Amino acid sequence: MEEQSDGEASDSEKLALDQRFKAAIHYTVGKICTELEEEMEVTFSRHIIAVISEATYKQSGIFASDLEDFCQHAKRTTVTADDVKLLARRSGTLANHISKVHKKMKDAQVASKEKKGQKRKKTGP
Amino acid sequence: MVTKLVQRNFKDPKTKMSKEATELTAELLRIFVKEAALRSAQQAKDESSVVVEQKHFEKILPQLLLDF
Repeated sequence: MEEQSDGEASDSEKLALDQRFKAAIHYTVGKICTELEEEMEVTFSRHIIAVISEATYKQSGIFASDLEDFCQHAKRTTVTADDVKLLARRSGTLANHISKVHKKMKDAQVASKEKKGQKRKKTGP
Repeated sequence: MVTKLVQRNFKDPKTKMSKEATELTAELLRIFVKEAALRSAQQAKDESSVVVEQKHFEKILPQLLLDF
C-alpha cells in the first residue's frame, strides 16, 4: 500500500513538473511571438502559440533522447557542447550558428577569467 | 529558464548536462521557436492574412521538423 501511494505521489509530481515546463515554454513562445508581431506586422492567434509550444515541448524530448544517445556513444555520462553541435549537424547554417555561439561563449569565459585574474593580481600585492 | 531546460533532461537516468551544453540547447530551442513563428508568419502573409493561425503552422510544420 505504502509503495503504491509513493508511486502515485511521484507520478503527480512528474505531472506537475511537466506542466511547469509547458507553462515556461508557453510563456517564452508568447514573448518571441510578440517580438515578431511588431517586426512582421501580423498578429498571432492564441491557438498557434499553444500549438508551437506543444511542438517545442515534443521537440525538446527528441533533443534530449538524441543528446543522451550521443554522449552514451562517446562513453560519457555528461552531455557536452560537442554533442549539441552533433545534434545540429544536419543543416549547415544552423551548425555554423551554434558553433559561432559556442565560440562566443568560450571567448566570454576566457575574458571573464582574465578579468578575475587581473582582479586577483591587483588585490594580491 | 535555462535551468528548467536542463531539468527536462533529468528524466533520463544518470545523464548530466554541462553548462555549455545547456546554453547551446537553449539557443537551439530558441531558434526552433523563432523559425516556427517566422515561417508561419510568412505563410500567413503569402495567403494575404493578417492573423497567423493554426492552418498556417500546419503547412510549415513538416519542413520545420525536417530542418531540425
